Amino acid sequence: MNMFSVVSLYFDPGLGAMIVQAVVAAAAGVLLFSKNAWYKVKLFFGMIKDENDNYDSIDIEEKEDDESSAS
Amino acid sequence: MNPAHPNPHQASFRDPSGYVYDDGGTIRRRIQPIYFKQYQSLTDSGFYKTLISKGLLIPHTETNRTETEITITPEFIPFITYPYEWSFEQLKHAALLTLQIQKYALSKGFILKDASAYNVTFHKGKAVFIDTLSFDFYEEDTPWRAYKQFITHFFGPLVLAKNHGTEMLKMLQTHIDGISVSLISSLLPAKTKLNSTLYTNIHLLAKMENKHSEDYKAETKVAKLSKKAQNNILSLLFNAIKKLEVKGASEWGDYYSKTNYDNASFTAKKELIREWTLPLKPKSLIDIGGNDGTFARTVLDEVDDVLVTDIDYNAVEHNYHQVQKNNEVNMLPFVCDVLQPAPGIGLNNEERFSLLKRLKMFAPDVTFALALIHHVTLSGNVPFAKSAEFFATFSNYLVIEFPKREDSWVTSLLVRKREFINHFDFYNETQFEEGYALYFETLQKQQIEGTHRVLYLLKKK
Repeated sequence: MNMFSVVSLYFDPGLGAMIVQAVVAAAAGVLLFSKNAWYKVKLFFGMIKDENDNYDSIDIEEKEDDESSAS
Repeated sequence: MNPAHPNPHQASFRDPSGYVYDDGGTIRRRIQPIYFKQYQSLTDSGFYKTLISKGLLIPHTETNRTETEITITPEFIPFITYPYEWSFEQLKHAALLTLQIQKYALSKGFILKDASAYNVTFHKGKAVFIDTLSFDFYEEDTPWRAYKQFITHFFGPLVLAKNHGTEMLKMLQTHIDGISVSLISSLLPAKTKLNSTLYTNIHLLAKMENKHSEDYKAETKVAKLSKKAQNNILSLLFNAIKKLEVKGASEWGDYYSKTNYDNASFTAKKELIREWTLPLKPKSLIDIGGNDGTFARTVLDEVDDVLVTDIDYNAVEHNYHQVQKNNEVNMLPFVCDVLQPAPGIGLNNEERFSLLKRLKMFAPDVTFALALIHHVTLSGNVPFAKSAEFFATFSNYLVIEFPKREDSWVTSLLVRKREFINHFDFYNETQFEEGYALYFETLQKQQIEGTHRVLYLLKKK
Protein backbone atom coordinates (compact mmCIF):
# COMPACT_ATOMS: atom_id res chain seq x y z
CA MET A 1 0.00 0.00 0.00
CA ASN A 2 1.13 3.47 -0.79
CA MET A 3 2.34 5.13 2.36
CA PHE A 4 1.73 8.65 1.14
CA SER A 5 -1.69 9.06 -0.26
CA VAL A 6 -3.82 7.65 2.54
CA VAL A 7 -4.86 11.07 3.64
CA SER A 8 -5.27 12.56 0.21
CA LEU A 9 -8.00 10.23 -0.90
CA TYR A 10 -10.91 11.76 0.89
CA PHE A 11 -12.17 13.64 -2.11
CA ASP A 12 -12.30 12.81 -5.78
CA PRO A 13 -9.77 14.84 -7.72
CA GLY A 14 -11.50 13.95 -11.00
CA LEU A 15 -9.73 11.69 -13.48
CA GLY A 16 -10.26 14.15 -16.32
CA ALA A 17 -8.77 16.90 -14.20
CA MET A 18 -5.70 14.77 -13.51
CA ILE A 19 -5.17 13.93 -17.17
CA VAL A 20 -5.82 17.43 -18.47
CA GLN A 21 -3.03 18.89 -16.38
CA ALA A 22 -0.45 17.59 -18.84
CA VAL A 23 -2.06 19.65 -21.60
CA VAL A 24 -2.56 22.67 -19.35
CA ALA A 25 1.08 22.49 -18.30
CA ALA A 26 2.28 22.26 -21.89
CA ALA A 27 0.24 25.31 -22.88
CA ALA A 28 1.46 27.10 -19.76
CA GLY A 29 5.05 26.21 -20.63
CA VAL A 30 4.74 27.68 -24.11
CA LEU A 31 3.09 30.82 -22.78
CA LEU A 32 5.59 31.35 -19.99
CA PHE A 33 8.48 30.71 -22.34
CA SER A 34 7.25 33.17 -24.97
CA LYS A 35 6.47 35.74 -22.30
CA ASN A 36 9.93 35.39 -20.93
CA ALA A 37 11.46 35.69 -24.39
CA TRP A 38 9.37 38.77 -25.13
CA TYR A 39 10.40 40.24 -21.79
CA LYS A 40 14.05 39.77 -22.70
CA VAL A 41 13.48 41.44 -26.07
CA LYS A 42 11.80 44.39 -24.41
CA LEU A 43 14.51 44.55 -21.80
CA PHE A 44 17.11 44.65 -24.55
CA PHE A 45 15.40 47.61 -26.19
CA GLY A 46 14.81 49.37 -22.89
CA MET A 47 11.04 49.04 -23.08
CA ILE A 48 10.47 47.76 -19.55
CA LYS A 49 8.65 50.00 -17.14
CA ASP A 50 8.44 49.36 -13.42
CA GLU A 51 5.53 47.08 -12.75
CA ASN A 52 3.97 48.20 -9.55
CA ASP A 53 0.98 46.00 -8.97
CA ASN A 54 0.88 45.57 -5.18
CA TYR A 55 0.88 41.81 -5.45
CA ASP A 56 3.48 39.54 -3.96
CA SER A 57 5.42 37.20 -6.16
CA ILE A 58 4.33 33.57 -6.25
CA ASP A 59 7.70 32.65 -4.80
CA ILE A 60 8.15 32.86 -1.08
CA GLU A 61 11.49 34.32 -0.02
CA GLU A 62 13.05 32.46 2.84
CA LYS A 63 15.96 34.72 3.65
CA GLU A 64 14.66 36.57 6.71
CA ASP A 65 13.28 33.43 8.27
CA ASP A 66 15.63 33.22 11.15
CA GLU A 67 15.05 36.77 12.30
CA SER A 68 11.28 36.77 12.43
CA SER A 69 9.89 34.46 15.05
CA ALA A 70 7.00 32.15 14.44
CA SER A 71 5.10 33.47 17.47
CA MET B 1 -14.00 8.86 11.76
CA ASN B 2 -14.04 11.47 14.48
CA PRO B 3 -13.98 9.97 17.92
CA ALA B 4 -16.81 11.19 20.04
CA HIS B 5 -15.96 14.66 21.15
CA PRO B 6 -18.27 16.98 23.01
CA ASN B 7 -17.92 19.98 20.74
CA PRO B 8 -16.53 19.15 17.32
CA HIS B 9 -16.75 22.06 14.92
CA GLN B 10 -19.54 21.52 12.39
CA ALA B 11 -17.27 22.28 9.44
CA SER B 12 -14.65 19.75 10.41
CA PHE B 13 -15.62 16.22 9.52
CA ARG B 14 -14.40 15.62 6.01
CA ASP B 15 -10.66 15.40 6.45
CA PRO B 16 -9.53 12.30 8.39
CA SER B 17 -6.25 14.00 9.37
CA GLY B 18 -7.81 15.66 12.35
CA TYR B 19 -10.66 17.80 13.47
CA VAL B 20 -11.39 21.14 15.04
CA TYR B 21 -13.28 21.42 18.29
CA ASP B 22 -14.46 24.06 20.68
CA ASP B 23 -12.77 23.73 24.05
CA GLY B 24 -14.80 26.06 26.22
CA GLY B 25 -14.48 28.95 23.79
CA THR B 26 -10.98 28.11 22.58
CA ILE B 27 -10.70 26.58 19.14
CA ARG B 28 -8.30 23.63 19.06
CA ARG B 29 -7.27 21.15 16.43
CA ARG B 30 -6.85 17.46 17.26
CA ILE B 31 -4.46 15.62 14.98
CA GLN B 32 -5.13 11.94 14.37
CA PRO B 33 -2.36 9.30 14.28
CA ILE B 34 -2.93 8.88 10.52
CA TYR B 35 -1.46 12.37 10.08
CA PHE B 36 1.35 12.26 12.68
CA LYS B 37 4.02 11.59 10.11
CA GLN B 38 3.03 14.52 7.93
CA TYR B 39 2.60 16.85 10.89
CA GLN B 40 6.01 15.92 12.28
CA SER B 41 7.70 16.42 8.97
CA LEU B 42 5.99 19.77 8.34
CA THR B 43 7.07 20.89 11.78
CA ASP B 44 10.63 19.55 11.80
CA SER B 45 11.49 20.78 8.32
CA GLY B 46 10.59 24.34 9.30
CA PHE B 47 7.83 24.37 6.68
CA TYR B 48 5.15 25.57 9.11
CA LYS B 49 7.57 28.03 10.64
CA THR B 50 8.36 29.72 7.34
CA LEU B 51 4.73 30.07 6.29
CA ILE B 52 3.79 31.37 9.73
CA SER B 53 6.62 33.88 9.86
CA LYS B 54 5.56 35.17 6.45
CA GLY B 55 2.04 35.68 7.76
CA LEU B 56 0.65 33.21 5.22
CA LEU B 57 -0.46 30.50 7.66
CA ILE B 58 -2.29 31.00 10.94
CA PRO B 59 0.20 30.54 13.83
CA HIS B 60 -0.38 27.61 16.17
CA THR B 61 1.17 26.14 19.28
CA GLU B 62 1.29 22.49 20.17
CA THR B 63 -0.66 22.25 23.39
CA ASN B 64 -0.82 18.54 23.98
CA ARG B 65 1.02 15.44 22.79
CA THR B 66 0.57 11.80 23.69
CA GLU B 67 1.20 8.58 21.79
CA THR B 68 -2.27 8.65 20.31
CA GLU B 69 -3.11 12.29 19.91
CA ILE B 70 -1.58 15.67 19.26
CA THR B 71 -3.47 18.88 19.89
CA ILE B 72 -2.56 22.22 18.44
CA THR B 73 -4.16 25.53 19.31
CA PRO B 74 -4.27 28.09 16.51
CA GLU B 75 -4.22 31.83 17.04
CA PHE B 76 -7.68 33.19 17.80
CA ILE B 77 -9.54 34.70 14.85
CA PRO B 78 -12.27 37.03 16.08
CA PHE B 79 -14.57 36.70 13.08
CA ILE B 80 -14.61 34.26 10.18
CA THR B 81 -15.85 35.48 6.81
CA TYR B 82 -16.71 33.09 3.99
CA PRO B 83 -15.82 33.25 0.27
CA TYR B 84 -19.35 34.33 -0.68
CA GLU B 85 -18.93 37.39 1.55
CA TRP B 86 -15.70 38.57 -0.05
CA SER B 87 -15.18 41.26 -2.62
CA PHE B 88 -13.53 40.38 -5.93
CA GLU B 89 -10.10 41.49 -4.74
CA GLN B 90 -10.46 39.50 -1.53
CA LEU B 91 -11.23 36.29 -3.43
CA LYS B 92 -8.36 37.11 -5.75
CA HIS B 93 -5.93 37.44 -2.86
CA ALA B 94 -7.17 34.20 -1.33
CA ALA B 95 -6.55 32.50 -4.69
CA LEU B 96 -3.04 33.92 -5.04
CA LEU B 97 -2.24 32.88 -1.48
CA THR B 98 -3.32 29.32 -2.23
CA LEU B 99 -1.06 29.18 -5.30
CA GLN B 100 1.89 30.68 -3.43
CA ILE B 101 1.52 28.07 -0.73
CA GLN B 102 1.17 25.19 -3.20
CA LYS B 103 4.26 26.31 -5.10
CA TYR B 104 6.27 26.62 -1.91
CA ALA B 105 4.97 23.28 -0.65
CA LEU B 106 6.05 21.64 -3.88
CA SER B 107 9.56 23.01 -3.51
CA LYS B 108 9.75 21.40 -0.06
CA GLY B 109 8.34 18.04 -1.02
CA PHE B 110 4.77 18.68 0.08
CA ILE B 111 1.48 19.49 -1.62
CA LEU B 112 -1.75 21.17 -0.72
CA LYS B 113 -4.07 18.18 -0.69
CA ASP B 114 -7.09 20.40 -1.15
CA ALA B 115 -7.65 23.90 -2.48
CA SER B 116 -10.94 24.84 -0.90
CA ALA B 117 -11.62 28.56 -0.60
CA TYR B 118 -12.72 27.84 2.97
CA ASN B 119 -9.08 27.12 3.81
CA VAL B 120 -8.57 30.86 3.71
CA THR B 121 -10.06 33.68 5.73
CA PHE B 122 -9.22 37.31 6.44
CA HIS B 123 -7.39 38.11 9.63
CA LYS B 124 -5.37 41.17 10.64
CA GLY B 125 -6.14 42.82 7.32
CA LYS B 126 -4.83 40.00 5.14
CA ALA B 127 -5.79 36.69 3.61
CA VAL B 128 -4.42 33.87 5.75
CA PHE B 129 -4.45 30.11 5.31
CA ILE B 130 -6.22 28.49 8.25
CA ASP B 131 -6.26 24.77 7.50
CA THR B 132 -2.97 23.69 9.03
CA LEU B 133 -3.56 20.04 8.14
CA SER B 134 -4.17 20.64 4.42
CA PHE B 135 -0.68 19.41 3.50
CA ASP B 136 0.56 16.03 2.44
CA PHE B 137 3.75 14.54 1.01
CA TYR B 138 4.46 15.12 -2.66
CA GLU B 139 4.84 11.99 -4.74
CA GLU B 140 7.20 12.42 -7.64
CA ASP B 141 5.49 13.05 -11.00
CA THR B 142 1.94 13.16 -9.72
CA PRO B 143 -0.47 15.85 -10.90
CA TRP B 144 -2.00 18.23 -8.36
CA ARG B 145 -5.01 16.47 -6.88
CA ALA B 146 -6.56 19.74 -5.84
CA TYR B 147 -6.25 21.33 -9.28
CA LYS B 148 -9.92 20.99 -10.19
CA GLN B 149 -10.96 22.25 -6.79
CA PHE B 150 -8.80 25.31 -7.27
CA ILE B 151 -10.58 26.03 -10.55
CA THR B 152 -14.07 25.53 -9.11
CA HIS B 153 -13.41 27.51 -5.92
CA PHE B 154 -11.20 30.30 -7.22
CA PHE B 155 -10.28 30.65 -10.86
CA GLY B 156 -13.72 29.89 -12.31
CA PRO B 157 -15.67 32.23 -10.01
CA LEU B 158 -13.14 35.02 -10.59
CA VAL B 159 -13.36 34.63 -14.36
CA LEU B 160 -17.17 34.57 -14.16
CA ALA B 161 -17.12 37.79 -12.12
CA LYS B 162 -14.82 39.40 -14.64
CA ASN B 163 -17.22 38.53 -17.45
CA HIS B 164 -20.58 39.03 -15.73
CA GLY B 165 -19.93 41.25 -12.71
CA THR B 166 -19.26 40.68 -9.02
CA GLU B 167 -22.79 39.43 -8.31
CA MET B 168 -21.55 36.13 -9.76
CA LEU B 169 -19.52 35.60 -6.61
CA LYS B 170 -22.77 35.06 -4.72
CA MET B 171 -23.03 31.72 -6.52
CA LEU B 172 -20.42 30.43 -4.09
CA GLN B 173 -23.13 30.47 -1.44
CA THR B 174 -25.23 27.92 -3.31
CA HIS B 175 -22.22 25.91 -4.52
CA ILE B 176 -20.43 25.01 -1.34
CA ASP B 177 -17.83 22.90 -3.12
CA GLY B 178 -17.25 25.38 -5.89
CA ILE B 179 -19.05 26.03 -9.16
CA SER B 180 -18.77 22.98 -11.40
CA VAL B 181 -16.42 23.32 -14.35
CA SER B 182 -19.17 22.46 -16.82
CA LEU B 183 -21.33 25.28 -15.45
CA ILE B 184 -18.43 27.73 -15.52
CA SER B 185 -17.62 26.69 -19.07
CA SER B 186 -21.21 27.07 -20.25
CA LEU B 187 -21.59 30.48 -18.64
CA LEU B 188 -18.51 31.95 -20.24
CA PRO B 189 -18.77 33.78 -23.57
CA ALA B 190 -17.48 31.87 -26.63
CA LYS B 191 -14.59 34.28 -27.08
CA THR B 192 -12.97 32.89 -23.93
CA LYS B 193 -12.22 29.73 -25.92
CA LEU B 194 -9.69 31.73 -27.90
CA ASN B 195 -7.70 32.49 -24.77
CA SER B 196 -5.25 29.62 -24.22
CA THR B 197 -5.29 29.95 -20.43
CA LEU B 198 -9.09 29.99 -20.23
CA TYR B 199 -9.46 27.34 -22.88
CA THR B 200 -7.18 24.82 -21.20
CA ASN B 201 -8.03 25.52 -17.57
CA ILE B 202 -11.78 25.74 -18.02
CA HIS B 203 -13.24 24.60 -21.34
CA LEU B 204 -10.86 21.73 -21.95
CA LEU B 205 -11.02 20.73 -18.30
CA ALA B 206 -14.82 20.63 -18.52
CA LYS B 207 -14.61 18.50 -21.65
CA MET B 208 -12.16 16.06 -20.09
CA GLU B 209 -14.14 15.80 -16.89
CA ASN B 210 -17.23 15.06 -18.89
CA LYS B 211 -15.44 12.45 -20.98
CA HIS B 212 -14.05 10.61 -17.98
CA SER B 213 -17.04 10.96 -15.68
CA GLU B 214 -18.16 7.43 -16.48
CA ASP B 215 -14.82 5.84 -15.84
CA TYR B 216 -15.58 3.92 -12.71
CA LYS B 217 -12.21 2.24 -12.70
CA ALA B 218 -10.82 5.51 -11.43
CA GLU B 219 -7.09 5.71 -11.07
CA THR B 220 -6.39 2.77 -13.36
CA LYS B 221 -4.55 5.07 -15.70
CA VAL B 222 -2.16 6.98 -13.55
CA ALA B 223 -1.64 10.38 -15.08
CA LYS B 224 1.89 11.70 -14.77
CA LEU B 225 3.07 15.24 -14.48
CA SER B 226 6.57 16.45 -13.72
CA LYS B 227 7.20 18.90 -10.94
CA LYS B 228 8.40 21.47 -13.43
CA ALA B 229 5.20 21.10 -15.44
CA GLN B 230 3.14 21.56 -12.31
CA ASN B 231 5.10 24.67 -11.44
CA ASN B 232 4.27 26.02 -14.89
CA ILE B 233 0.56 25.56 -14.23
CA LEU B 234 0.84 27.33 -10.89
CA SER B 235 2.81 30.25 -12.33
CA LEU B 236 0.45 30.59 -15.25
CA LEU B 237 -2.63 30.65 -13.00
CA PHE B 238 -0.91 33.09 -10.67
CA ASN B 239 -0.11 35.50 -13.50
CA ALA B 240 -3.57 35.15 -15.02
CA ILE B 241 -5.35 35.78 -11.71
CA LYS B 242 -3.15 38.74 -10.86
CA LYS B 243 -4.33 40.44 -14.03
CA LEU B 244 -8.05 39.76 -13.58
CA GLU B 245 -10.15 42.85 -12.99
CA VAL B 246 -13.82 43.62 -12.88
CA LYS B 247 -15.52 46.58 -14.42
CA GLY B 248 -16.33 49.31 -11.98
CA ALA B 249 -13.78 48.18 -9.44
CA SER B 250 -11.48 51.01 -10.40
CA GLU B 251 -14.16 53.65 -10.14
CA TRP B 252 -14.07 53.96 -6.38
CA GLY B 253 -11.58 56.78 -6.65
CA ASP B 254 -14.37 59.33 -6.65
CA TYR B 255 -16.56 57.42 -4.26
CA TYR B 256 -16.77 60.17 -1.67
CA SER B 257 -17.89 62.87 -4.05
CA LYS B 258 -20.72 60.67 -5.28
CA THR B 259 -22.15 59.70 -1.92
CA ASN B 260 -21.69 62.60 0.43
CA TYR B 261 -23.50 65.55 1.71
CA ASP B 262 -21.78 68.80 2.60
CA ASN B 263 -18.50 68.81 4.38
CA ALA B 264 -19.53 70.53 7.62
CA SER B 265 -22.32 68.07 8.39
CA PHE B 266 -20.04 65.22 7.41
CA THR B 267 -17.51 66.33 9.99
CA ALA B 268 -20.22 66.99 12.58
CA LYS B 269 -21.51 63.45 12.14
CA LYS B 270 -18.04 61.98 12.50
CA GLU B 271 -17.37 63.95 15.67
CA LEU B 272 -20.67 63.01 17.23
CA ILE B 273 -20.07 59.32 16.52
CA ARG B 274 -16.63 59.43 18.07
CA GLU B 275 -17.84 61.41 21.06
CA TRP B 276 -20.57 58.88 21.84
CA THR B 277 -18.64 55.72 21.04
CA LEU B 278 -15.33 56.20 22.82
CA PRO B 279 -16.68 56.51 26.40
CA LEU B 280 -18.24 53.06 25.91
CA LYS B 281 -14.69 51.67 25.50
CA PRO B 282 -15.77 49.09 22.94
CA LYS B 283 -13.47 46.20 22.13
CA SER B 284 -15.51 45.12 19.14
CA LEU B 285 -17.69 47.00 16.73
CA ILE B 286 -19.67 46.39 13.57
CA ASP B 287 -20.79 49.00 11.09
CA ILE B 288 -23.71 47.62 9.11
CA GLY B 289 -24.20 49.32 5.78
CA GLY B 290 -20.90 50.99 6.55
CA ASN B 291 -20.02 51.75 2.95
CA ASP B 292 -16.24 52.04 2.57
CA GLY B 293 -15.64 52.26 6.33
CA THR B 294 -15.41 56.04 6.51
CA PHE B 295 -17.36 56.31 9.75
CA ALA B 296 -15.98 53.17 11.37
CA ARG B 297 -12.51 54.62 10.76
CA THR B 298 -13.30 57.54 13.07
CA VAL B 299 -12.97 55.11 16.00
CA LEU B 300 -10.62 52.54 14.46
CA ASP B 301 -7.66 53.64 16.60
CA GLU B 302 -9.56 52.83 19.79
CA VAL B 303 -11.30 49.54 18.98
CA ASP B 304 -9.63 46.11 18.78
CA ASP B 305 -11.85 44.57 16.12
CA VAL B 306 -13.96 46.43 13.62
CA LEU B 307 -16.21 44.80 11.02
CA VAL B 308 -17.71 46.84 8.20
CA THR B 309 -20.32 45.34 5.93
CA ASP B 310 -22.03 46.72 2.89
CA ILE B 311 -24.29 45.42 0.16
CA ASP B 312 -22.20 47.19 -2.47
CA TYR B 313 -19.20 45.23 -3.76
CA ASN B 314 -17.45 48.41 -4.84
CA ALA B 315 -17.74 49.94 -1.39
CA VAL B 316 -16.33 46.79 0.21
CA GLU B 317 -13.57 46.72 -2.39
CA HIS B 318 -12.70 50.33 -1.69
CA ASN B 319 -12.61 49.60 2.02
CA TYR B 320 -10.36 46.58 1.49
CA HIS B 321 -7.95 48.68 -0.57
CA GLN B 322 -7.70 51.16 2.28
CA VAL B 323 -7.07 48.33 4.74
CA GLN B 324 -4.12 47.25 2.62
CA LYS B 325 -2.84 50.73 1.88
CA ASN B 326 -2.88 51.75 5.55
CA ASN B 327 -1.86 48.30 6.84
CA GLU B 328 -4.87 48.23 9.11
CA VAL B 329 -4.94 45.06 11.19
CA ASN B 330 -8.24 45.54 13.00
CA MET B 331 -10.59 46.34 10.11
CA LEU B 332 -12.46 43.57 8.32
CA PRO B 333 -14.68 44.52 5.37
CA PHE B 334 -17.17 42.09 3.86
CA VAL B 335 -20.27 42.01 1.69
CA CYS B 336 -23.67 41.63 3.34
CA ASP B 337 -27.24 42.38 2.37
CA VAL B 338 -29.03 43.20 5.63
CA LEU B 339 -32.32 42.03 4.17
CA GLN B 340 -30.79 38.69 3.27
CA PRO B 341 -27.79 37.93 5.48
CA ALA B 342 -25.74 34.81 4.70
CA PRO B 343 -27.63 31.70 5.85
CA GLY B 344 -26.15 28.59 7.43
CA ILE B 345 -25.14 26.20 4.63
CA GLY B 346 -23.74 22.73 4.16
CA LEU B 347 -24.48 19.63 6.21
CA ASN B 348 -27.23 20.28 8.77
CA ASN B 349 -27.07 23.92 7.66
CA GLU B 350 -24.19 24.19 10.09
CA GLU B 351 -21.03 23.62 8.12
CA ARG B 352 -20.80 27.33 7.41
CA PHE B 353 -22.51 29.37 10.05
CA SER B 354 -25.16 31.94 9.28
CA LEU B 355 -24.11 35.55 9.59
CA LEU B 356 -26.43 36.01 12.57
CA LYS B 357 -24.91 33.08 14.41
CA ARG B 358 -21.42 34.45 13.84
CA LEU B 359 -22.51 37.94 14.88
CA LYS B 360 -23.99 36.58 18.10
CA MET B 361 -20.68 34.85 18.85
CA PHE B 362 -18.74 37.97 17.93
CA ALA B 363 -21.12 39.96 20.15
CA PRO B 364 -20.05 43.45 19.10
CA ASP B 365 -20.04 45.97 21.94
CA VAL B 366 -21.23 48.66 19.57
CA THR B 367 -23.22 48.47 16.33
CA PHE B 368 -23.40 51.32 13.84
CA ALA B 369 -26.35 51.63 11.49
CA LEU B 370 -25.78 54.89 9.68
CA ALA B 371 -27.74 56.00 6.64
CA LEU B 372 -29.31 52.56 6.56
CA ILE B 373 -32.72 52.58 8.22
CA HIS B 374 -34.49 54.47 5.40
CA HIS B 375 -33.32 51.84 2.90
CA VAL B 376 -34.37 48.97 5.15
CA THR B 377 -37.71 50.56 5.98
CA LEU B 378 -38.69 52.11 2.67
CA SER B 379 -36.98 49.91 0.08
CA GLY B 380 -37.23 46.71 2.11
CA ASN B 381 -40.65 47.51 3.63
CA VAL B 382 -39.39 46.36 7.03
CA PRO B 383 -41.37 47.82 9.97
CA PHE B 384 -39.33 49.60 12.65
CA ALA B 385 -40.09 46.96 15.27
CA LYS B 386 -38.69 44.25 12.97
CA SER B 387 -35.44 46.03 12.20
CA ALA B 388 -35.07 46.86 15.89
CA GLU B 389 -35.50 43.17 16.68
CA PHE B 390 -32.78 42.32 14.15
CA PHE B 391 -30.27 44.71 15.71
CA ALA B 392 -31.22 43.58 19.20
CA THR B 393 -30.25 39.96 18.47
CA PHE B 394 -26.55 40.81 18.52
CA SER B 395 -26.04 44.44 19.54
CA ASN B 396 -25.49 45.93 22.93
CA TYR B 397 -25.12 49.61 22.08
CA LEU B 398 -26.56 50.84 18.81
CA VAL B 399 -25.66 54.10 17.10
CA ILE B 400 -28.38 54.59 14.54
CA GLU B 401 -29.11 57.42 12.16
CA PHE B 402 -32.67 58.33 11.28
CA PRO B 403 -33.13 60.49 8.18
CA LYS B 404 -36.39 62.40 8.44
CA ARG B 405 -38.99 62.68 5.70
CA GLU B 406 -37.47 66.00 4.60
CA ASP B 407 -34.14 64.32 3.80
CA SER B 408 -33.58 64.25 0.04
CA TRP B 409 -32.91 60.48 -0.03
CA VAL B 410 -36.05 59.73 1.95
CA THR B 411 -38.13 62.08 -0.19
CA SER B 412 -36.92 60.32 -3.30
CA LEU B 413 -37.62 56.87 -1.85
CA LEU B 414 -41.12 57.99 -0.83
CA VAL B 415 -41.90 59.53 -4.21
CA ARG B 416 -41.14 56.19 -5.83
CA LYS B 417 -43.97 54.65 -3.83
CA ARG B 418 -46.39 56.65 -6.02
CA GLU B 419 -50.02 55.92 -5.11
CA PHE B 420 -48.91 53.85 -2.11
CA ILE B 421 -47.13 56.76 -0.50
CA ASN B 422 -49.79 56.97 2.24
CA HIS B 423 -48.89 53.48 3.35
CA PHE B 424 -45.60 54.93 4.52
CA ASP B 425 -46.98 57.68 6.75
CA PHE B 426 -45.56 55.65 9.62
CA TYR B 427 -42.09 56.67 8.51
CA ASN B 428 -41.49 59.42 11.07
CA GLU B 429 -39.42 60.12 14.16
CA THR B 430 -42.15 59.25 16.65
CA GLN B 431 -42.93 55.85 15.18
CA PHE B 432 -39.25 55.10 14.77
CA GLU B 433 -38.70 55.80 18.46
CA GLU B 434 -41.70 53.69 19.45
CA GLY B 435 -40.51 50.74 17.37
CA TYR B 436 -37.01 50.84 18.75
CA ALA B 437 -38.24 51.40 22.32
CA LEU B 438 -39.46 47.79 22.28
CA TYR B 439 -35.85 46.60 22.42
CA PHE B 440 -33.70 49.61 23.26
CA GLU B 441 -33.57 52.58 25.58
CA THR B 442 -32.43 55.94 24.25
CA LEU B 443 -29.25 57.32 25.82
CA GLN B 444 -28.58 60.16 23.38
CA LYS B 445 -30.43 61.88 20.58
CA GLN B 446 -29.17 64.72 18.42
CA GLN B 447 -29.92 66.21 15.05
CA ILE B 448 -26.85 66.33 12.78
CA GLU B 449 -26.00 69.93 11.98
CA GLY B 450 -27.15 71.11 8.59
CA THR B 451 -29.08 67.94 7.77
CA HIS B 452 -32.51 66.43 8.26
CA ARG B 453 -30.98 63.47 10.01
CA VAL B 454 -31.12 62.53 13.68
CA LEU B 455 -28.49 60.42 15.39
CA TYR B 456 -29.40 58.14 18.32
CA LEU B 457 -27.35 56.24 20.83
CA LEU B 458 -29.42 53.31 22.06
CA LYS B 459 -28.75 50.61 24.63
CA LYS B 460 -30.33 47.19 24.57
CA LYS B 461 -32.94 46.67 27.26
